[in-house]
This record gives sequence, C-alpha cells and structure tokens, in this order.
Amino acid sequence: MSDNAESPTETQKDDPSIQHAATEQTGASDEKKKIDVLLKAVGDAPIMKTKKWSVERGRTVQSLAQFISRFLKLEASEQLFIYVNQSFAPSPDQEVGVLFECFGSDGKLVLHYCKSQAWG
Amino acid sequence: MAGERNPASCYLDERTFQLCCQLFLQHSETIQDGWSWEQIKGTDEGFMKKTVLMPVKPSVLHKQHEYSIQDENMVTDDIQANVEDETAGVQAVCEIHAVLRYEYHVLYSCSYQIPVLYFRASTLDGRPLSLEEVWSNVHPNYRQRLQQGPWDTLTQQEHPLLGQPFFMLHPCRTEEFMKPALDLAQAENKRMNYIVTWLSVVGPVLRLDVPLSYSTEVSAPD
Repeated sequence: MSDNAESPTETQKDDPSIQHAATEQTGASDEKKKIDVLLKAVGDAPIMKTKKWSVERGRTVQSLAQFISRFLKLEASEQLFIYVNQSFAPSPDQEVGVLFECFGSDGKLVLHYCKSQAWG
Repeated sequence: MAGERNPASCYLDERTFQLCCQLFLQHSETIQDGWSWEQIKGTDEGFMKKTVLMPVKPSVLHKQHEYSIQDENMVTDDIQANVEDETAGVQAVCEIHAVLRYEYHVLYSCSYQIPVLYFRASTLDGRPLSLEEVWSNVHPNYRQRLQQGPWDTLTQQEHPLLGQPFFMLHPCRTEEFMKPALDLAQAENKRMNYIVTWLSVVGPVLRLDVPLSYSTEVSAPD
C-alpha cells in the first residue's frame, strides 16, 4: 500500500494538523509536535486507503474520529468507535500524544476503529 | 474470556461479570478511582458504584422555564461547592461552573446478558436533573447520534435492585461496539476484561472517565 495514494486534499485543507505520514521522513523537524498514527479497520468498517497519518499531539480522539468519519464518508447517524491497545476506548477528550506515550511502539500509535450501523 | 465464549457472541454470564468487576475494582482501589461493590444482602447479586462531582457549564441547567430561579440556584451551588468541597480542582472551576453530582451503577442484566449502565444526577442541593438536562450533558461526540436512535437510548428506569428512579443507557448498541473488540482480541489470542472494554466505551458518553491505566493493569478473569 502506498502512502502516496490519492490525497484527501479537501480534508487536508480542513485539518492541517492531520497529514499523510511520509515513510521516508522519520527525523522530520516537526517530529516532536506530531505523532504517527496507524489506523486499522475492524469488523465491517471500511478500510481507509491511507492508513498512516501524522497527527498533532494535542489533537483529541474526538477530533480524529470526526476526521476519519469524514474521510470514510460515514452518514451522520453512524458512530465511529476507536480502540487503543486493541480493546480500550480512549475518552473522546484524550489527546493522541498521550496515547502515543502510553501505547506507541515502533514509533507509531496503532488505533483500531469500527462503526455502528446507520439507523433507518 | 475468549476461550470460554462462543466466538460470535458478545454476551456475558453473570459469574464472568462479577469476576471482571472484581479485577476492575482492584485497580480502582490502587489508583483511588472511587468505585465500590454493593452487594444486595442475602443474594448473589451486586453492582459497581461510583459517585462523581462534576463541574459543568451553567448552560446544562438552562433547560427549565424557571430561568431566573435556576440562576439563583446555580449561584448557591457555586458557593456551596466552594465551602463544602475540598478538592482543589473542583474549587478552581466553581467560580464559573455549576457542580453536579452523578452516581453511576454498573449492573448485570439477566435479560440481555450484558452489563448495563444506570446513573442518577442531581444538583448539589439535591434537585434531580431532568431528562432534558441529562441529555444536554451527554458528550457532544455522541449526542447527535444517540438522539437519532429509533428508540429511547437514555430512559428513566426503576433501578432493578434498589427500586429507585434512575436513568439507564439502553444496552441495544452494546453488540455493535463490543463484538469488534472481542473478535480482535480473539484473533490476536489475547484475553480482555469485558467490563474494562465496555465501560471505556459507554462511560465517556455520560462524562464518566475511565483512566487509561485500566487498559494495561486489569487482567481478564481466568
């Protein structure tokens, strides 16, 4: 899977703090301010074409969930659930930087996500 | 408990529920997270309980027509909270927030065979919150979708063990968020504590914080 897959330029404009993680850059100057997140789908959640993202440490889980929901074009009634450490849902107000400190390994934070059925 | 469960099932038997709670409570004790076990005298039944004082924006309580009276009550709450509460954190926000008292109960539902979250909420002077006020305090991350449910997600229910009026978060969506986590744990050959996973999802909906350390420090029942 290539990290150069089609860019969600529209969403990138909305969210400058979430960008594609370039595989070559491990020593980027903004390394301290951003962390690498790897998104993995579980259940029947749609798989994101781009799975690796650089996210500002201060970004909340809720904000990231909104980003993923928009990226996956979820309906307004569909709920996204995010898990860290495979089976723990972090609070929506939790900062991803804190999650990275607790659960990051190999320089990245793995987050699993699934969605609820849409009503109606 | 992956080994003892039908892989496709997200249901929990009562014994496992109690074991998961015991392990959960051990960690709560360690980090002084305030949870306790309430045993119903003369029965095998019990539930987990925690009471929280919660600062909220005054607008949460602006849902009744007695607007001016509400304002006065809120000021009283703020002053009372400053006097009565010794927690520095609560005092620090009392000047600009109202303080609510939330009491959370984690019960086992025999009919659904899963845990269910009951809670009651009141102002510091003991006035119970209305359903509307409780809704306005649901975390924004969930509020819109919960309100779109075809049935009442937040309902007023009689507490099955205490017989007192509580609110309940309807357990109908439990399978949606538990099944993927359970399947994932099983695929990775890891056991998980059902209550830790479940509460980490439903808790924040109702402003109940479940610290991250539960994720790593609480084991699954044998």
